[in-house]
Amino acid sequence: MTSIVKSIIASFQAFPIDPFLLAVLAILIPGVIIFLIMAVNALIAVYFERKVSAFMQDRLGPMEVGLFGFKGGKKFWGGIGQTFADAIKLLSKEDIIPQDADKFLMIMAPFIIFTGAFLTFVGLPMSDSLVISNFNIGIFYIIAMSSVGVIGIILAGWSSNNKWSLYGAMRAAAQMISYEIPIALSLILVVLVSGHLDIHGIVQWQADNRWFILHSPFASLGFVIYFISVVAETNRTPFDIPEAESELVAGWMTEYSGFRWALFFLSEYANMLIVAFVASIVFLGGWLSPFQLIDLPFIDIFPESWLVLDGTVFGIFWLFIKAVILIFCMMWFRWTFPRLRVDQLMYVCWKIFIPFALANVILVSIWELIF
Amino acid sequence: MSEYFIEIVNGVKTFLTGMKMTLQHYNNKEELVATLQYPHEKWPIPERNIGFENSEYNLIRSRLHVDIDDCIGCLQCEKVCPVDCIKIDTIKPPKGTDVDFGITSLDTQKKMLVTRFTIDMAECMYCNLCAYPCPEECIYMVGGPNEHKHEIDYEFSQYKRDGLIYEFADPTEDQLAEVGGESYVESRQSQKQKLEDGSNLEGVVEEEKKAVVVEDSKGSVKKEEDTGLTLAIFNDVGDKPARGIAKKAFQAAKRANMNFDAMADYVNGAINDSGKSSPEMTAAINVIRNFKDESVTINTPVKVSAESSSETPEFLEMASTNFDIKILNGIEDKMSRGIAKKAFTSAKRENLDANGKIDFIKKTLNEADKMTDEIDSLISTFAVSDVPPAVVAPEKEVEVEAEAELFDIKLLNDIDNKMARGSAKKVYMAGKRGNKSSSIVLTQIREVLNKAEMMNDDIDGLLKGIG
Repeated sequence: MTSIVKSIIASFQAFPIDPFLLAVLAILIPGVIIFLIMAVNALIAVYFERKVSAFMQDRLGPMEVGLFGFKGGKKFWGGIGQTFADAIKLLSKEDIIPQDADKFLMIMAPFIIFTGAFLTFVGLPMSDSLVISNFNIGIFYIIAMSSVGVIGIILAGWSSNNKWSLYGAMRAAAQMISYEIPIALSLILVVLVSGHLDIHGIVQWQADNRWFILHSPFASLGFVIYFISVVAETNRTPFDIPEAESELVAGWMTEYSGFRWALFFLSEYANMLIVAFVASIVFLGGWLSPFQLIDLPFIDIFPESWLVLDGTVFGIFWLFIKAVILIFCMMWFRWTFPRLRVDQLMYVCWKIFIPFALANVILVSIWELIF
Repeated sequence: MSEYFIEIVNGVKTFLTGMKMTLQHYNNKEELVATLQYPHEKWPIPERNIGFENSEYNLIRSRLHVDIDDCIGCLQCEKVCPVDCIKIDTIKPPKGTDVDFGITSLDTQKKMLVTRFTIDMAECMYCNLCAYPCPEECIYMVGGPNEHKHEIDYEFSQYKRDGLIYEFADPTEDQLAEVGGESYVESRQSQKQKLEDGSNLEGVVEEEKKAVVVEDSKGSVKKEEDTGLTLAIFNDVGDKPARGIAKKAFQAAKRANMNFDAMADYVNGAINDSGKSSPEMTAAINVIRNFKDESVTINTPVKVSAESSSETPEFLEMASTNFDIKILNGIEDKMSRGIAKKAFTSAKRENLDANGKIDFIKKTLNEADKMTDEIDSLISTFAVSDVPPAVVAPEKEVEVEAEAELFDIKLLNDIDNKMARGSAKKVYMAGKRGNKSSSIVLTQIREVLNKAEMMNDDIDGLLKGIG
C-alpha cells in the first residue's frame, strides 16, 4: 500500500539528494498539504455554516462581501468573500495576553490543540492510496490523536487565570473524556467484524462485503451512537457546554484573541472534518462509490469501473460528498437543538450511550458468530 | 426500567420532530426568508395623511422641492417658514430695461430673477406650511399626491450637514448680466475662490468637498469642465515653498482659462521670480506644457451674450448636453418666445424627451400662427444633435421587469384588517423575491389568509379586483 510520504521518497531517490534534506522535504510537503486542507476547510465550512444557520432561521446570512467583485448567487448564496474578510480581520487583531495569566502555557495551548487536529490528518486517507502515511493501526492512531486536544483545552483554561475559562476547561475535559468511550466502543465494532485496525483494510472489507452501516442493525445503531458522540467530542451545540455563551462568556476561549483564537477556530472546524471523514470511512464505505450498493441488471454490460465511477480520483469526490453530508447534519443539529445541561450531558453519555455501545459490541460479535 | 426506555423513545421522537422542522425551514427558504436587503430592496412607503382625502393633505415626511422655472420670487414661503430654513435672493432689473423672464405654468409673468433659492433640509421640520401660500404651486413635498411632479425621495442622508442644503436656483452669468447683477456675479466668484483657496491650504487635510446639491440639470455641465490637470503634478517637487508658489500660480492660470502653453509660462514665470527653480519643477511645468487632449476644446468657454445667441456655437455646445429653456431666448419675437417657453414647461411637466419637447413646441407655434423659418431652424438644431437617452443601468432594468410582472403592493393597503394586511404583504414580498407572477402570489395570499381564518368577502373582492 503506497502513501504520499513513500511516493515523495521514491520520486526523489532518483536524484542524488542529501538524506537529511530528503527527510525535511518528506515532512514539509505533507505538512503544507494538511495545513492547506485545514485552512480551506475552515473558510468554506464557516461560510456554509453561516448560510445553513441563516436559512434555518429564515434569514439570508452574509450577502454583501464578494471576491474580486463576484458576490456569488444573487438570491441566497451571496457574500462568498465574507470568511476571507473575517480571516483577514482575525489575523490583524491585537493579540492580548492577560497580565496575571501563565504566559508560557497560554501561548502553548492553542498550538497543542492545533497539533492534535493536525496530526490526525497524517493517518487519515483522502482516497484509495492517497494518505500521508499508512499505519497498520490507523483507526487506533486517530482515536488517540483526537484526544490530544483535551490537554490543550485544560492548559488554555488553567493558564487564562479566569473563572469562566477554568470552568469551561473542566467541563470540556469531563465531556470529551466521557464521550471518548462510546466513540471507541462504536469504532471497535468495525475492527471486530473486519479484523483490521488498518483503515485500508477496513475499506477493503467494505468493498468485498458491504458498507459497514448495512452490516447489521447493531452496526447502524453503532453509527448513530458514534455520530452523536463526535458532535459532543467536537464541542458543538447542543453539546457546547464548555463554551456556553450564556453561562461562561466563551468558556476556555474567553481570554484568547487574534491569531491564537483563529487557531482554536481552525482546529474546531478541522475536527469536524476529521470526525466526518472517520464516520464515512468506517461506516459509509469511505471512498467507495454508492453505486456499488445497487445491483442493477445491466451492470454486467458496461465496464464496471466506468459505470460505478470508482478509483482514486472519484474516491476523493465520494469521500468528500459523504463528509459534507455529515457536516451538514452536524450544522443541522446545531441550529435545531437547545444546549443540554451538564447533568443531562453526562446522563446521555454514561447511562445511555455507553450501555448501548457495550451491548452493541456483544451483539455484533454474536451476529458474526451466527451469520 | 420501562421508564428508561420510554425516555429514550421520547428523546428520539422529539429529536426527529425538531430536525424535521428546521429542515422544512431550510428547504422553504424561498418563501420563508424574511430579510429585506435594505438598500437593494425597499418596502413601499406607507402613505399617511391628516385629511379626509389623500389629495388634500400631504404629510409624507419627504423632501421639499422647488420647480424653479415656475418661481416668481414672491418670498411667501420664506416668510411663512417657522424655522427659517428657506432663503431666497432675487434681483429686479433696473427700471427702463426690458428683460423677459418668461411665464410660469400658471400663466403669471415673471418679473425678477431668482438668484438663490436654498432650502436647508437639516433645519426643515416638514410642516409643509410653505407649500400652502405659494401662488404658483412650485414648492411642495415630493411624492404622494405630488408623485407626478417629482418622484418621492425620503433617503437623502449625507455625510456632512452642508450636503443637506439644497440649491434650486442656478442663474447663468448671462442671465445675471442681463438684469444688472454684476456685483452678485463678483461676490459669487469670490466666494468660490475662497473655498478653493481654503481647500488648497498646506497642512490642511484635503477632503472631497461635497458640492451643494444643484437640482437643475445644467449645473452638472459646469462641473465637467475640468482640464484633467490637477495640482497633483507638483507633488514630486521636494521644495515646499516652491511647491506652494507653483500651485498658487497654477490655480490662478486655470481660473484665467489660459491654454496649457500660457499656463506653463505663467507658472514658470512665477517660479523664476522667486528663484526657486529646480529640475523637478521644470519637469512638472513640462507636464503642463505637453498636456494636450480633447478637453482643451471643452475648456475654452464661448462667451456669447444673450442677444447674439442665435449663433450656432453656443447652441451646439448646449445641445450636446441638454435641451434647455434658455435656448428659446434666441427667439426674437416676444410673443412667440413666450408661447414657446410655455409649451416647453408644459412639455417638461409631461416628462417628454428633447425630441418630444421640440415637436410639442412646433405644434403650439403652428397653432398660434407664429412659426417662422428662423424659429424652425433654431429649434430643429436640437432635434438633430439630440443626445440618445441615457442607457438605464442593467440592474435597474431587472428590477423594473420583476416589478412589471407583479401588481403594486399598495393595492394591498385597502385591506382593513391589520393582521391580514401584514400577512398578505409578507406573502407578496416573498413572491416578489421569487419573481412570481401576480396570479400565483394572489393564490398564495388566499391560501395564507384562509389558513389564518382571516379571509372575508371584502378581501376576496379586493383580491379578485387585483387579479
